[in-house]
Amino acid sequence: MDLLRRTIVRYVELSDRDWAVIAPRWKEYAFSRGAFISSVGKVEDRFYIVAQGVQKLSFPHDGADICVGFAYGGSWSGEYASFLTRKPARFDVVAVTDSILLGIAHADLQRLYAEMPVMERWGRLIAEEVLVGRATREIEQMSLSAGERYERLVKRSPQLLQLVPQKDIASYLRMTPETLSRLRRSTS
Amino acid sequence: MKRMPMETLQLCADLISELDQQLTRTKAIAQLPAERLLHRTDPDKWNALDVFEHLNLSSGIYLRGLERAFAEQAPSLRATPTFTPGFIGDYSTRNMLPRADGRLVWRMRTMRMFDPARQHGSDHESINRFIALCEGFIKLLQLAPGTDLNRMRVTSSLGPVIRFRAGDAFRFPIAHQKRHFLQIERLLAHR
Repeated sequence: MDLLRRTIVRYVELSDRDWAVIAPRWKEYAFSRGAFISSVGKVEDRFYIVAQGVQKLSFPHDGADICVGFAYGGSWSGEYASFLTRKPARFDVVAVTDSILLGIAHADLQRLYAEMPVMERWGRLIAEEVLVGRATREIEQMSLSAGERYERLVKRSPQLLQLVPQKDIASYLRMTPETLSRLRRSTS
Repeated sequence: MKRMPMETLQLCADLISELDQQLTRTKAIAQLPAERLLHRTDPDKWNALDVFEHLNLSSGIYLRGLERAFAEQAPSLRATPTFTPGFIGDYSTRNMLPRADGRLVWRMRTMRMFDPARQHGSDHESINRFIALCEGFIKLLQLAPGTDLNRMRVTSSLGPVIRFRAGDAFRFPIAHQKRHFLQIERLLAHR
């Protein structure tokens, strides 16, 4: 819960009184590796902050699993679009390693937004951050070479290479597992 | 070993009492910090949540089978005061329970379909589903004295070839759960 407070105050200031209202709405959830946090077709009811572990965001396509992102230490997790729209999720979110997530139910978060301007501001700031993150990734996907995309990942989140199966990393980088392993060998 | 008939009422009361103990303990475990529920003694071994999910997968077969049997077969059966275990059902149940000295016989490998690590993993919900599962068994056990647990048959988890008498379809999974609680307690004792 300490992590929760630290995560929120990265964006907005909280008084102890604010915190006393916010904290009880959040709960800790454990997921063993391989567990589905969200699944395609089901409405996502929670918004999560990652306390521990790595989760992968992917969708099934043509018999393959296309990986579009990872969540880990301190970042957001779950199927955010479904959480916002209340429509069936289009992605699976699966725990790649044993994970502990701090989660809040949709109705509880909406209530906090309605009652506390400071939380509504926080919600807006993270939505903006997610949006900018998506745009950045879109540009990288379109403009960088396979080698450059790999280097970006190594620089930004080196721990993923140890924790996530190669096939998911390769899928995320939009390259074949063979290309990925060649790149790994040539840079190590 | 000679299979002795047992009083149906007593059998049901004993099983309900065992399930009540498991439920009380499970509800307490559900409140433990996530970190303890995820603790593994080895990266390849199960954590407590995996054990609960394993029980959901395996006991679930019996609960669903019993629910179907109670709906379809029970109405045409007459209540019988005693239950005599079947050979395989009795043998499996006895070997499932720890011996008086706490020793476990019958170490076995988990079948893929009952291994959460090779199915869809486990999470906090696994505990809630286990609670619902035990409550499902209790509900049927309360109805059980009104029917015939000998003649009512349920497909076992060992495959469709082996059908348990309904009484054994309660005894076996509940003994299996009891055995796995030893493992859960060992895992949670670690901190």
